[in-house]
Amino acid sequence: MKLENVIVERPYKKVYRCDEGIAKVFEPSHPKEDVFNEALNQARVEATGLNIPKVKSVNEIDGKWALVIDYKEGKTLEELMQENPDKMDEYMEQFVDLQLEIHSKTAPLLGKLKDKLNRQINSLKDVVDATTRYELLTRLDSMPKHHKVCHGDFNPSNVIVGEDGSLYVVDWAHATQGNASADAAMTYLLFALKDQKLADKYMDLFCRKSDTAKQYVQQWLPIVAAAQLTKKHTMEQDFLMKWIDIFDYQ
Amino acid sequence: MATKKKEAPAIIDNVEALIEKIKAMKEAQKVFATFTQEQVDKIFFEAAMAANKARIPLAKMAVEETGMGVVEDKIIKNHYAAEYIYNAYKNTKTCGVIEEDTAYGIKKIAEPIGLIAAVIPTTNPTSTAIFKTLIALKTRNAIIISPHPRAKACTIAAAKVVLDAAVKAGAPEGIIGWIDVPSLELTNEVMRDADIILATGGPGMVKAAYSSGKPALGVGAGNTPAIIDETADIKLAVNSIIHSKTFDNGMICASEQSVTVLESVYEEVKKEFAYRGCYFLKKDEIEKVRKTIIINGALNAKIVGQSAYTIAKLAGVDVPENTKILIGEVESVDISEEFAHEKLSPVLAMYKAKTFDEAIAKAEQLVADGGYGHTSSLYINTAEKEKMAKHAAAMKTCRILINTPSSQGGIGDLYNFKLAPSLTLGCGSWGGNSVSENVGVKHLINIKTVAERRENMLWFRTPEKVYFKKGCMPVALDELGTEMHKKKAFIVTDTFLYKNGYVKPIEEKLDEMGIQHTCFYEVAPDPTLQCALKGTDQMRAFEPDTIIALGGGSAMDAAKIMWVMYEHPEANFEDMAMDFMDIRKRVYKFPKMGEKAYFVAIPTSSGTGSEVTPFAIITDADTGVKWPLADYELLPNMAIVDVDNMMTQPKGLTSASGIDVMTHAIEAYVSIMATEYTDGLALKAIKTVFDYLPAAYEKGAADPIAREKMANASCMAGMAFANAFLGLNHSMAHKLGAFHHIPHGVANALLLTNVIRYNAAEVPVKMGTFSQYQYPHAQARYAEAARFAGICGKDDAETVELFCEKLEELKKAIGIPKTIKEWGIKEEDFLATLDEMVEQAFNDQCTGANPRYPLMSEIKELYLKSYYGN
Repeated sequence: MKLENVIVERPYKKVYRCDEGIAKVFEPSHPKEDVFNEALNQARVEATGLNIPKVKSVNEIDGKWALVIDYKEGKTLEELMQENPDKMDEYMEQFVDLQLEIHSKTAPLLGKLKDKLNRQINSLKDVVDATTRYELLTRLDSMPKHHKVCHGDFNPSNVIVGEDGSLYVVDWAHATQGNASADAAMTYLLFALKDQKLADKYMDLFCRKSDTAKQYVQQWLPIVAAAQLTKKHTMEQDFLMKWIDIFDYQ
Repeated sequence: MATKKKEAPAIIDNVEALIEKIKAMKEAQKVFATFTQEQVDKIFFEAAMAANKARIPLAKMAVEETGMGVVEDKIIKNHYAAEYIYNAYKNTKTCGVIEEDTAYGIKKIAEPIGLIAAVIPTTNPTSTAIFKTLIALKTRNAIIISPHPRAKACTIAAAKVVLDAAVKAGAPEGIIGWIDVPSLELTNEVMRDADIILATGGPGMVKAAYSSGKPALGVGAGNTPAIIDETADIKLAVNSIIHSKTFDNGMICASEQSVTVLESVYEEVKKEFAYRGCYFLKKDEIEKVRKTIIINGALNAKIVGQSAYTIAKLAGVDVPENTKILIGEVESVDISEEFAHEKLSPVLAMYKAKTFDEAIAKAEQLVADGGYGHTSSLYINTAEKEKMAKHAAAMKTCRILINTPSSQGGIGDLYNFKLAPSLTLGCGSWGGNSVSENVGVKHLINIKTVAERRENMLWFRTPEKVYFKKGCMPVALDELGTEMHKKKAFIVTDTFLYKNGYVKPIEEKLDEMGIQHTCFYEVAPDPTLQCALKGTDQMRAFEPDTIIALGGGSAMDAAKIMWVMYEHPEANFEDMAMDFMDIRKRVYKFPKMGEKAYFVAIPTSSGTGSEVTPFAIITDADTGVKWPLADYELLPNMAIVDVDNMMTQPKGLTSASGIDVMTHAIEAYVSIMATEYTDGLALKAIKTVFDYLPAAYEKGAADPIAREKMANASCMAGMAFANAFLGLNHSMAHKLGAFHHIPHGVANALLLTNVIRYNAAEVPVKMGTFSQYQYPHAQARYAEAARFAGICGKDDAETVELFCEKLEELKKAIGIPKTIKEWGIKEEDFLATLDEMVEQAFNDQCTGANPRYPLMSEIKELYLKSYYGN
């Protein structure tokens, strides 16, 4: 496998274009089980019939684990949004429709979003005090339990728009099954970290199209903020802490 | 050496220790459950005293630990939780028999529930802990507290004060417990293992409580809207709101979150708020505070229980340090407006309303925004009853406070002394709660009701006067003139009687007394509604103060119906004819009769007894529907049983109506509602019919004694069944008569002995339901009646058999055949209607009093037996 053409570079992985498709090559520090898990998640989501790049193989290349998937020609939605700001409304419509399509699927063997969030909140012992963790866990515990496919990192950079306009969702490493509003809350958070106005636009559209009350999605925000905090992006910490430090109505 | 009991773990910080602790507490509670009221009251007293004494250190601890609220106000809350709760319940019975009524045979016994799981919020930790532990002690429950991690030390300290005092006063060791290191896992475990959950706090915890599968008294969030009407005392209103909103820095869940002021007094209200130290935020400052108090629709933890000054500083707004409340004048009541939320701090939204209706509409929306079921308040001149009623009707809140600071007012007993003191305020189903009132001791006990068997209250109803004896009619009628001074009499009768001069003696007597009269004589057998309507029209035109019904059942029934329509033209037949299980518990309240006219009934045949019964039946000729009416309002006021009116009855009428009398008496005697008062009348009637009916039938007017005896028997049987009711024989006869045009009395006779044998079963499939009816004893009752009539066998069974034979002989003697078939009903006609008759007979009003509760299949069998014979 020839790995020359780097498309994306992250601290823990490099993504190459290769003959077989796309190769995501992870640093040795990245747990092996995470790589296989991503492959398994993606295979499970493939089974739902969603139009996503197929998993082709998991290989060991020069002591690094690599996940090879189908290549889809096109630009990311994020790029298009930047290039054509006048088409933002149209893109946002497509983006939300796509997310709702994902939410319409079920994959009973995917991991549970609630368990994942629970683990993430509990892992924040150094950053978040016991009282706040208790409140977050109580809040999470009281949220309705659903089992819809959730991408977990659904943002325009993970949507590829083909030449013919068809849309492909990539990066299923965080996929779970759970409450769609939690998934929307995560998307809102990802927007808000960059552009609050765009985030609000997304929220309004999601709530309108999914017929969901805004407060219902908002109730998930402290929880997904805590989940985001586990990614340890120091720049985001103050912002996220503000979202987390809230008080239940009495 | 005695084995040492396993001690409960000292520190509860993991599931194993918790389970061990709960086990020990449940054991302690078992002992506590045996305590007397006296012992419990002593413990309750000592515990309240101890909590009261510790109120200052506990308040200080709470403020220090949580960083929220005001020490002095928390002292009041602790004081209140100890003193007011003690005072409210010191004399309440919570152990053993708490209520008893020997007359009704009812006793209520209070039992503890067991182990209470208490969730305590951070906003009122010590006072809520005192409140909950005290009411748990008063009700002999154990209580385990799951404190909030932000307030665990002070919550536990408060619980410990109460526990130590309780144990010192004799309570079992460890009757109050707590989790030392709270976690969601332990809280959920506590909820799972407890017998009931007393949750106070935010929606998350309340939801967890409800989903634990244990009964929960959970309470939810409030968002109290206050309205200041233009009629309000503005100084009182504004200062009450300030007093409430600043209390413990606005952390009471019932505290005002918004105030809607009528336009005409808006400026005055604003001036008073400003004068009393509240700060009105400027436009840009409002925006800053908005973003500070609410984050993504949730309350910023940093502002809860802080002073107005601190919050302003956080928002970057300069206000004087002694500012009481930050007020934002805003317009939207939508949830997207930050000020429309609950703020748990001295931050208040202020709205302007053009009209009172607009103010109510705003308050309704604010309640919907986040305070369903909690509290609302209104400042108004209490003479404005209409406005207050409108407000009360619109608010979906379980507390509606008038001219009252809502923080102090909602918890009860401070501004209104009938509102129960409590620190756990139920929000009803609107708030997802099982309780809509202030939670108290009654919610922590199970009440066992011991109900002893009692018999129904019974009465005996008859017309106020029953005249009898040959020749009594003129004497009785005389009373209408000389005693009652009646002016106008309306006579109802049938054509035959009218044309044959039966009305004459009545008219003459009325003329003699100067009573005007008129006569309606168009009543036909099976009287119709149309006929009764015609009579009623004439009655309305004539406006009588007396109605005289002369005739058999038809004329008397028709006259009763006219009486109803004359007095109550608005009454609906369908309603009046509604079936009932117990005439005294019926749904429909029959209209009051006798306000326009006095009703006199004069029978001309010996049969229906209608002159003394509360029944009437009428047929709608258009639809064929029969309306059977029954109510004591339909009892005639006077009955005149004068045999002179009955002398010339034809033979067929004598036999049919005579055997009807027999059936009335027998059914009244074995009815499940028979009483000693009706028994005497029934027995005498049965014997009289046996003795005199054959002679009355054979000799007619030639045997006036037999005629008179039958007249009396008819009336006595009437009084018996007017009070004891009838049974299955009549149910079946009603349908047999209706479907096959058989005279009512004959229809009864054709079924009589079969029904008696059926009812006499010692092992009926089902018996009738009535408290007095203790066991199936119809056989013994029939035998009693038989013996009274002089029929004796070697035992009850044989006596009943002889009784039946004797009845068959009587039928024969008066020309009634043995079977329906013999009466001449064609087999195919009979069978074609059988199933319908069965169902209708089952549903007949008379069936309910039958001693044997019949199955439809049994009714069918009885019909077939009565058709073909044995």
